[in-house]
Order: sequence, then C-alpha cells, then structure tokens
Amino acid sequence: MFEVIAYGLTIGGILYIVSIGFSLTFGSMRIVNFAHGLVYAVGAYALFALLPVAKGNFVIAAILAILASLPVSYVIEKFVIRRLYGKSIDYAIIASYAVLLIGVDLIKWIWGASPVPISDPVGTSVSFFALEIPLYRLIIIGLSFLIFISLSIFFKKSIIGKIVVAGLADREAVLSLGIDIDKYFAIVFILGSALASLGGILYGPISTIHPYMGFRIVTLCFAVVIVGGMGNLRGTAIASYTLGMVMAVTAWYWGAAADAMIFVVMAVVLIFRPIEL
Amino acid sequence: MAEVVITARGVTKQFDGLVASSNVNFEICVGDTVGIIGPNGAGKSTFFNLLTGLYIPDSGTITYFGKDITKMPPHDRVGLGIVRTFQLVSVFDTMTVLENMMLARIRFDGTYGKKRFFLRNLLKSREVDGCMKALDTIGIAGKCDVKVSDLPYGKKRELEIAIALSMDPKLLLLDEPLAGMSMVEITEIMDIIKGLKSKLTIVLVEHKISKILDLVDTLYVMHEGQIICSGEPNMVICDPAVKECYFGRDNVCY
Repeated sequence: MFEVIAYGLTIGGILYIVSIGFSLTFGSMRIVNFAHGLVYAVGAYALFALLPVAKGNFVIAAILAILASLPVSYVIEKFVIRRLYGKSIDYAIIASYAVLLIGVDLIKWIWGASPVPISDPVGTSVSFFALEIPLYRLIIIGLSFLIFISLSIFFKKSIIGKIVVAGLADREAVLSLGIDIDKYFAIVFILGSALASLGGILYGPISTIHPYMGFRIVTLCFAVVIVGGMGNLRGTAIASYTLGMVMAVTAWYWGAAADAMIFVVMAVVLIFRPIEL
Repeated sequence: MAEVVITARGVTKQFDGLVASSNVNFEICVGDTVGIIGPNGAGKSTFFNLLTGLYIPDSGTITYFGKDITKMPPHDRVGLGIVRTFQLVSVFDTMTVLENMMLARIRFDGTYGKKRFFLRNLLKSREVDGCMKALDTIGIAGKCDVKVSDLPYGKKRELEIAIALSMDPKLLLLDEPLAGMSMVEITEIMDIIKGLKSKLTIVLVEHKISKILDLVDTLYVMHEGQIICSGEPNMVICDPAVKECYFGRDNVCY
C-alpha cells in the first residue's frame, strides 16, 4: 500500500505542477488553454533532445529544456491567448485545441510518432518497509511540495502575487487602480507554462514520452481545475494530490480504469457544485 | 469659462444588438459636480465604463483636457487622473485595509514593484504615511491591519473612496456611492462627497435623486442609452419627458 501512496503522490505532484498554470489561465482570463498540454510535451521532448547536449546531466538538460519551451509559451500567450481575452469560451477552446493539434503534428514531424524512453536519472531506490521505491519518485514528491510552498509564499507575500490574486477576484477593479493587470497575468502565464514544461520533463523518466502525451495531461488538468476550482490555488493543490491518489488506488485494483475514475470524481463534483463558465 | 475636463462626442456602444449607449454627448468643466440619473439599465454604468476605458466605444470620441483618449487602456487613464469607484464596492476582501491602500500606490512607488519583490518591503516605504493619512480622514486608520472582509459595507465604501482619493484624481467618477448603504452611512458618505465638491471635478451616478439635487451643478438624465435631458437640476426634474420615463407618469416620488 505504501507503494500505491508513493505512486499517488508522484502522479499528484506532477499533476499539481502542470495544473497550476492551466488553472490560473482559466481563473484569470476564463480561457481553457488546451495548448498548455503542448508546452508539457515540448518540455519532455526538449529534455530528450538536450540530454546529449548536456552530456547526460539531467538537471542541466532540464533547465535548458524549460528555457527552450519558454519561447513556445510566449508565442502562445502573445498570438493566441491574449487575442482570445473577452471572447466566447468556445473560441478559446477551439483555438487553443488547434494549437495543440498543430504542435503535436510538429513533434511527430521532428521526432517521429513512436514513444521515446528516457531513463531514470537517479537510478537508485530507497527501501521503505520492505518496499523498493525509486528515489527519483521521492524527489518528484519533494519538488512538488517545494513548488507548492514557494507558490504559496509568492501569491501571499509578493507584490506581483498580490496583484494577480486581486486580479483574479476583480480584474476591472485592479485596472481601475491604474495597474496593467494583463502584464501581471502574462508573467504568471509564462511561470505556469514553465511549470508545465517541468511537469513534462519530470514525467518522462517515469513512463515514456510520446507526441500525444499533451492530450492526456490537459484532460487531467481540466478535471483538476473543475474539482479544485478555477484560479483557486489551494484547491488546485488539494485536487491534484487527491486525484493522483485516486488514480494510483484505482490502478492498483484495475489498471484500465485509472484515468476514467478521475472523470467519475469530476462528474460527482460537478453534480454537487455546478460551475458557472 | 472654465477648462473642460472630459468630453464625450457621439459616443455609441452596442452589445449584441442592444444599444447600451447611443450617441451620448457629455462634458464637464474643472471644479464642476455633475450628476447622471436614469432608471435601471439606462446605460449609466456603461457610460462610466466608456469614460474609464473598460469599454471602447463603437463610434464617437472621448477627449480629456483636449487629448483623444477614446482607445486608451483603462490603467493609463488612471495615470492621467481619471479615477472611479464601482456600484458594487470593489475592494479586496482577502487583504487588509492598508494592503488595499498600498495596491493603489504601487504605481506611484518609483520602482513599480520592480526592485521590491515582497509587499512587506513596500509597507515600510514612505508611501505608507500618505495611506495612513487618507485612512485617517475616513476614520479607519486604527483598523489598517484589519481584513477588509471584517469591515461593515459602509466602511468598505468609504475605504474605496479613500483609495480613489489617494490616486491623485483630477476627475472622480462615483458610480452609485449610496447604493446599499444604511441611512447613517448615507449621511456619512454624503458628508465626504460634499467635502470633495470644492476640491475636485466629480461625476456622480446616483439613484437617490433627492440626495444629490442640492449637490450637483448639472444633472443629466439617461434613458435607453440616450441622454434625454440635461441642465440645472431643479429644471431637469420638472421636464415632462424626464418625469414620464423616470418617475412613471404623474407620480413624482423622489
């Protein structure tokens, strides 16, 4: 059972790291950004491409991969997301989904359609109650908690964070204080995208990377945001770890139902707490 | 003749075929207090949103001290001195009173949050004195560390006005400042507005006509997105067209 908990926290941690940006874009601009999944996949593929450049050093390759995915998210923000602000939510879904589709085809064109394995960068395991748990997964869990704490401080204490939280509550009121709120939302968008890229990087060695990985994560993010509340920072964290655990426990009993169970939880939440879009 | 602060010429705004603002002409001179009245849905708030830049008009122009600001984004207009309050009090419940004030001052802090990363450091800066003074004028300086959600609604409104005043307004737009207030709170807020009248140029949207009749120099009446009458307040409310649309036939019950 400890194995299941560790797996649940690992998946939950990655889900949290990726969902936070998706949730903030949803909360701040009312935009469902499916292109978020592309940045996640780009992070993983950039890692794959940059590992040889970094001579196999995972940390350096990961940092380079995040930097490499920044221009992608910048272009998405500037030319797609920003233009969709205030438009109907349907347009945002169609446009950002189109970006995801185009991006996935580009990935297939560059790296091919077949899955690519990335080896565990740590390699060792930790013995835990007679169980072997890969150290790499424990590092992911630790990293996700660290990011959670850093983001909590950022949004509670920093000026940028305060402005963004205020903007999530009432965008027009912040504008009326003479603050260019879109600039701050853009900063947070880039931050969220960098985290999505990190999520893809971290997930690579757990499984394999493939061009369609962005589709799966973005539907999971969507479930996280529905359960946790859009733009709700604490809710996103709780929902991520909870859904990660739901996946792990379901997979323990019936592997094929793991993803489906997430959406069962989402549906139950929707029944009891309808969300206004 | 006094200098004109803001002018709207033929300003029109539609939403999905609904004309929320139709060929509106409006101007206000330095030092004047102007009231805008009209039934619900008359387009008063839409017009405010056009003046402050939250909406961009489909046609027409808005000039501010002779400068065309029709398409200027809202935060830049605030920088020029166009400051507003909202019909529903717009202060941030999760923050303290002082933090709310500081949020409005970030723009004035030379570093604009560039050098200062944490709000804590901004709270140590010289900006605080100005904020405390503004809080003192509305009598809640002692509550500067209280969460705004713990303030009564009337005090939130006063805080919102204090925040607006701290932004060095040249033109103050008050959107139904008396909405939702108790009788006592109305008196307090009216006193604040009366105190501002001599110092500032003010546009006031209000439902409670009787309260503002003596306060405003000019009264505009809006109906279905149009200004149907304007002029000296006591003349305006006697206008038959105004009576018809606003007071409902013969019942003058203001």
